[in-house]
Amino acid sequence: MRRHTRRIFNICYRFTGNRTEAEDLTQDVFLRVYRTLASYRSAHGGFATWMTSVTRNLLIDHYRRTKRDRVTDSLDDAMPVVENKESVARRPDEQALLGELSGQVQSALTRLSPELREAVILRDLQQLEYIEIQRVLEVPEGTVKSRINRGRIELARILQQMGVRPA
Amino acid sequence: MTWTCEQTEARLSDYLDGLLDAAEWTAFNQHVNTCAVCTPLVASVAHTLGGLYALEQVEPPPHLETAILLATVGVARKKYDFWAWLRSLQSPRFVYGAVSVAATIALLLTATGFNWRKPKLADLAPATIYRRADSNIHVFYGRSVKFVSDLRVVYEIQSRINEGDQNPAIREETIPQSSPKKEPGRTDNTNPSAPKQQNRANDISRRLEVLACEFPILSGSLVDRRVP
Repeated sequence: MRRHTRRIFNICYRFTGNRTEAEDLTQDVFLRVYRTLASYRSAHGGFATWMTSVTRNLLIDHYRRTKRDRVTDSLDDAMPVVENKESVARRPDEQALLGELSGQVQSALTRLSPELREAVILRDLQQLEYIEIQRVLEVPEGTVKSRINRGRIELARILQQMGVRPA
Repeated sequence: MTWTCEQTEARLSDYLDGLLDAAEWTAFNQHVNTCAVCTPLVASVAHTLGGLYALEQVEPPPHLETAILLATVGVARKKYDFWAWLRSLQSPRFVYGAVSVAATIALLLTATGFNWRKPKLADLAPATIYRRADSNIHVFYGRSVKFVSDLRVVYEIQSRINEGDQNPAIREETIPQSSPKKEPGRTDNTNPSAPKQQNRANDISRRLEVLACEFPILSGSLVDRRVP
């Protein structure tokens, strides 16, 4: 229970970038899993994969529901980008830079399209295999690879726009 | 093998994940090292991957698990609570417990003098229960003391009689020879009306003598009664 809670909460948090929303979504995931437990078939993959699939569907639903709110919020987010660029240049400590980078990566993640974001989160943060991601997203392996590749490149471009450059 | 910028972008993840074969890997490296567009691209994506891997796991808040349990198992328990409770009544442990409790209550009520044939609500008042219980306890105690006392006397008499039967010599010595010539049953100096009466009188006389022997305090009065 605790292991699954932590994993699902992390997926939700990385996808939304908001702790409160991640809490609500994690709770919704468990509620849906509890209600649809009878529909789980082990032949379609492990329980964790099935749970991740439920999480992904809920995250996409949530993304569509809150799309309008984000359009107005994105205009306000333009200012911190410039501040981040300056702050990175000012901080010499490596650990602080790493922490700063983590925050910027998280921020950049939320700007990715949901299809690319979920693929990157599942692959690079949750360390899932391609076959597992294929089951979760219900798309062919080629599409999974393509999304992961495009997601990484897009994320790098966003970080560059935010002023984050490789050392 | 010739390698293009489009191929670099398309196979970048394969390169970073180590999925390219040797020939592709060599061609990829040769192109990236000489291409002004692809070099920063690969560097930035590799840096981004490092940033992704550096992201630590976020700890969920402690109350989340409780909230989840409440939202899942808690809801289900509420929904099926009544039926679960009904099912629990079928368990032998509950039946035994209920029977024991009912028997105890019935016993206590009976002990407090509750009238089962004409039950009244007033009988269940604490003051009434206390008064009746107190009265019943005293009555029960008195009866018990009397019963034990009677039992002790009876056993004592019985044991002495048995001893007397076994040792007739002792009995003869202990029986007072108050009036051997006088016949029992003849208190008015007249003959008994029938042999049956004479036998009965003899028997009572013999028992009185035994009692007088066993309880010397009473012997005087018993003997006095025999002699008018």
